[in-house]
Amino acid sequence: MKLLGLLRKYWFFSLLAPLFMIGEVSMDLMQPKLMSQIVDDGVLGNNMAVIISTGLKMLGFTALGVLSGVLSGVFTNLASQNFGNDLRKKVYDRVIHLSFEQTDKFTTGSLITRLTNDVTAVQDFVSQALRGFVRSGFMFAGGIIMLLSLDAGFGKITACVLPLQILVIFTFLKKVAPIFSKVQEKLDKVNSVMLENVTGARVIKAYVREEYEKDRFSIANDELMNTNLRVMKLMASISPLMMLLMNIAVVLIIYIGGFEVAAANMQVGEIMAAINYVTMIIHSLMMVSMMFQSITRARASMSRINEVLDTTPVISDGEGNSERESEYIIEFNNVSFTYPNYSGRPVIDNFNLKIRKGEWVAILGATGSGKTSLINLIPRFYDVCEGSVLVEGVDVREYKLNKLRNKICTVMQKSELYTGTVEENIRMGKQGASHDEVVKAAKIAQADDFINSFEDGYNTVISEKGSSLSGGQKQRVSIARALLKKPEVLIFDDSTSALDLATESRLHKALSEELSETTVIMIAQRVASVKNADRIVVIDAGEVKACGTHDELLKNSDIYIDIYNSQMQSMGEGASL
Amino acid sequence: MSEKREQNRPPINIMGRPRGGPMGAMMNREKPKNAGQTLKRLAAYIAMDKNLFFALMSVMILITVFNLAIPSVQGWAIDKLTDAIGGVFDAEGFVRFLVLLATLHILNALTSYLQGIFSAKLSQRTVRNMRSDLFSKIVYLPIKYFDTHRHGDIMSRMTNDVQNISNTVSQSIGSLISGTLTVLGTLVIMLCYSPALTAVSMITIVLTLFVTRNLTKFMRKMFVKQQELLGSLNAHSEETITGSKTIAAYILEEEQKQKFDDISNSLKNCSIKAQILGGSMGPLMNFISNFGYLLIAATGGFMAWKSMITVGTIQAFLIYTKQFSRPINEIANQFAQIQTAMAGAERVFAVMDSEEERQVDEDKGMRAEGNISFKDVCFSYKSGEPVIRNFSLDVKAGQKIALVGATGSGKTTIVNLLTRFYDIDSGEILIDGKNILDIPKGELRENIAIVLQDTVLFHDKISANIAYGKLDASMEEISSAAKMSNADVFIERFPEKYDTMLSEGGQNLSEGQRQLLSIARAVLKNPQILILDEATSNVDTRTELNIQKAMIRLMENRTSIIIAHRLSTIRDADVIVVLDRGEIAEIGSHEELLNKKGRYFALYSTQFAGGVI
Repeated sequence: MKLLGLLRKYWFFSLLAPLFMIGEVSMDLMQPKLMSQIVDDGVLGNNMAVIISTGLKMLGFTALGVLSGVLSGVFTNLASQNFGNDLRKKVYDRVIHLSFEQTDKFTTGSLITRLTNDVTAVQDFVSQALRGFVRSGFMFAGGIIMLLSLDAGFGKITACVLPLQILVIFTFLKKVAPIFSKVQEKLDKVNSVMLENVTGARVIKAYVREEYEKDRFSIANDELMNTNLRVMKLMASISPLMMLLMNIAVVLIIYIGGFEVAAANMQVGEIMAAINYVTMIIHSLMMVSMMFQSITRARASMSRINEVLDTTPVISDGEGNSERESEYIIEFNNVSFTYPNYSGRPVIDNFNLKIRKGEWVAILGATGSGKTSLINLIPRFYDVCEGSVLVEGVDVREYKLNKLRNKICTVMQKSELYTGTVEENIRMGKQGASHDEVVKAAKIAQADDFINSFEDGYNTVISEKGSSLSGGQKQRVSIARALLKKPEVLIFDDSTSALDLATESRLHKALSEELSETTVIMIAQRVASVKNADRIVVIDAGEVKACGTHDELLKNSDIYIDIYNSQMQSMGEGASL
Repeated sequence: MSEKREQNRPPINIMGRPRGGPMGAMMNREKPKNAGQTLKRLAAYIAMDKNLFFALMSVMILITVFNLAIPSVQGWAIDKLTDAIGGVFDAEGFVRFLVLLATLHILNALTSYLQGIFSAKLSQRTVRNMRSDLFSKIVYLPIKYFDTHRHGDIMSRMTNDVQNISNTVSQSIGSLISGTLTVLGTLVIMLCYSPALTAVSMITIVLTLFVTRNLTKFMRKMFVKQQELLGSLNAHSEETITGSKTIAAYILEEEQKQKFDDISNSLKNCSIKAQILGGSMGPLMNFISNFGYLLIAATGGFMAWKSMITVGTIQAFLIYTKQFSRPINEIANQFAQIQTAMAGAERVFAVMDSEEERQVDEDKGMRAEGNISFKDVCFSYKSGEPVIRNFSLDVKAGQKIALVGATGSGKTTIVNLLTRFYDIDSGEILIDGKNILDIPKGELRENIAIVLQDTVLFHDKISANIAYGKLDASMEEISSAAKMSNADVFIERFPEKYDTMLSEGGQNLSEGQRQLLSIARAVLKNPQILILDEATSNVDTRTELNIQKAMIRLMENRTSIIIAHRLSTIRDADVIVVLDRGEIAEIGSHEELLNKKGRYFALYSTQFAGGVI
């Protein structure tokens, strides 16, 4: 419930909304009384003037009621929608700053549900509380007062019927709630058998288990039907029962009122008004019982939202005030790393490497050897388990995150492009970059030619995460984006894999001409991609196996020679098994 | 790592369409393409249980009669009171009417209860039958269907669409029938009482319909916009959450937050307008109904004054007018839901109409020896794009064949063809000299076990998951199969051992454990022909060794076709087939192919030399 604190900002709207709602209900409550006047004084009293004047009064009150109702709606919406908007933004702000392991744990789907469905549920609850609760409550209380003002004798009827009604509602709610969760369970079961059959069709067919699966489904399906029927049977009994109670109350009112009329203690119109009031009272009671369900729903949503809001990012800013001199821009000191919640051998095991400013280092290794994990540690996408990573002599954990990540830029293995134009995608690297800067980066990234070949050039819209571009084109757009950022350390995570050798070597040439100051770390599979690096590091199972220039390694590393020979002989055709 | 996780992630939001406020359903309104045909088939489902259907109909007619009678009786009782003013109070007659009224209410409650029960039964049975028919269909759909349709889409037919139909059957059908009956009956009675008052109350009804129509038309536009904004909010969240690494790398958190805030703000502004409009509907209707109330009271009062009607008639008329307009509003409100359900039914029927591969012939219990030969096999998934070209290969019983080649070279397709997941375009595949097209699919598949890279496990006990290979297997057979496949070690470590429940898709097991279970399943099936798809996923070394040992044991004395990734597997194969774009590029033993210094040699040295694996 602490989320509701966000509503404080809109206290004015939140106050006006129920006030106007009370106005609307008051007008509603006037109607039966006026109606009874029309009947008693007008119709039965043979006075047409009373009919007209009271009728106009009634219409006037109704108009006031409508106005009041609309205004209440306006203020309710102003309060609840603004509240929902604030809440949504607050949740998003938290989500965007979560660390990767936390995002992974929540899963994208669930985070999106929390951002949308859950926020909407809480917002609906607020709007209901401001209007619905007030309406039902006031109508209930007002109805009783009006009824009693007609004749205290009617009080007996309500005193008998209302407790019965409440009893019915509560026994029903108590009975139905556990079955509801059972229905969900059975529904999940049906869906899960279905999902298994859709995703596992190959195995089911290979084992010729179609009939077996049909039986399995049939059991789940029948169970669902039977549980559903149990709920629906309960539901089928509740509403006629409530209606019966209400109608019996009406009959009793006519009965008691009838004898009063006969004794000339009461007028006919008043009985008609009493009938209307009883109907109002009982309807509002039924509304309240419905609202109980919305409270439960809102509470579940609130706790799901709080789960997100209560998660503090595990990776957060360091002190940011240490500065040291170092000849190395990046140092790995005895680094070990295992993914959170992942058992088994560590991905990186006691790893050591020092990289000088402006150096071009290539990292070579098989899939699963820990290359990507290694470079993820530099911008603190993950934190080391043991040892330390230093950037310019300072532990990365001591940096302010933004300052650290400003120095480093990684071009990911899988290019992430966003909805927008090509130019906007590149400009993500540096907000406010001029068109010329964008083009220059694209030229170095060897992307300018193909972008210009598009009809709309740099204004070509990228849709569906770049599905309209080829793999190599996506990679080059991503590279251009990184170049525009002009970081001190540029990391390529196997991000030239989809380029042909000629384009790749042109890219390398442009890079070395334009970015001689920048430290480059390049992860690659192909020897040809890394031949000209200042240093090549061969890693396996998270450890350094060999390190040196191409020529040195060719002289003294057996592993490197093997890789080299094999790739050269297969003419650089990087086929994978 | 991240790639793998993405695959394991459950499909997003297959269970429900995004909610978009109270008018959400209206916005997603889809029109059925062939309403007549769909309605007919749907009606056939509903009317399947004729007795129940007629019982429901008769109960509904009764309810309508009661609902029509009640206001009149109440009016008569009140008339007795007006007569009493300045006259004699007929207490006996008054009480008699009240008793009649109470009896009618009780009868009405009883029949309403019966209606609830009957319609619950009818809708639940309808949906059960529909689900079960849909499932029976899906189980027999060819693999091609699953490969060419999105899984989320198939699932949503079973969940969303069937649910929509269920809701509509249980709610709309009832109100449609009883609504029509009530409207007609009320109209007749109102006309009997007083044609003049009927005309007056028609004014309110026409006014209500007029306002609703125009307001909803206007509201629709707002709600469409709200829905669109909600869509882009969703899209933005998904894009930034899945791409959080890039966001972090470029320190774009604030930018993205700004963007989100902008969308969120415009959503808010749009929603406020839409909701205020939607919210004024209630008070406005209230106004109209009060206006009608007044009209009737004034006209009725005037007529009563002139002694043309009684006060009881006015009271009755007020109730009848409400009774008349309520079903009309209800049906109008449900129109959108009915359309959605019809569109859903159409999609469900579309699945039911697709071609299945249910076998007709009886199994003859063939036990293959395991000789396989492919003769000039050609195949393409899409015509004009051949995947397998003139593939010929003879495999003798007991041989181990390793299929090697780049992604897209056709390795998996060979497996698809041998199991008849897909049928070949030309050429023939023979098992023990018999064309597989002449062997019933069930019989053919009983003779083949496949262990796939993506393991398939069921939300059931471990023992049941292994016994999938042989349904009537005894516990001894199951545990010895687990032993054979080295799965027993980890199974025994669970407190409930073989009775341990697996979560959906076996997510509570590690990748390696899942593979061991699927091997155990194949061991239990004990076929002559084995197809193995070696996994390349990251499992820890010890488990990997276990899997490898289990696979070697499984291959003993069987004809095995392996989509191979591990050097040791490939080296030990009797025949290595190097595939390239659907053709055999090279074929022979490891030594032969190495000496040839061709394509295999190249592949071998790139991938394996240097002991990187």
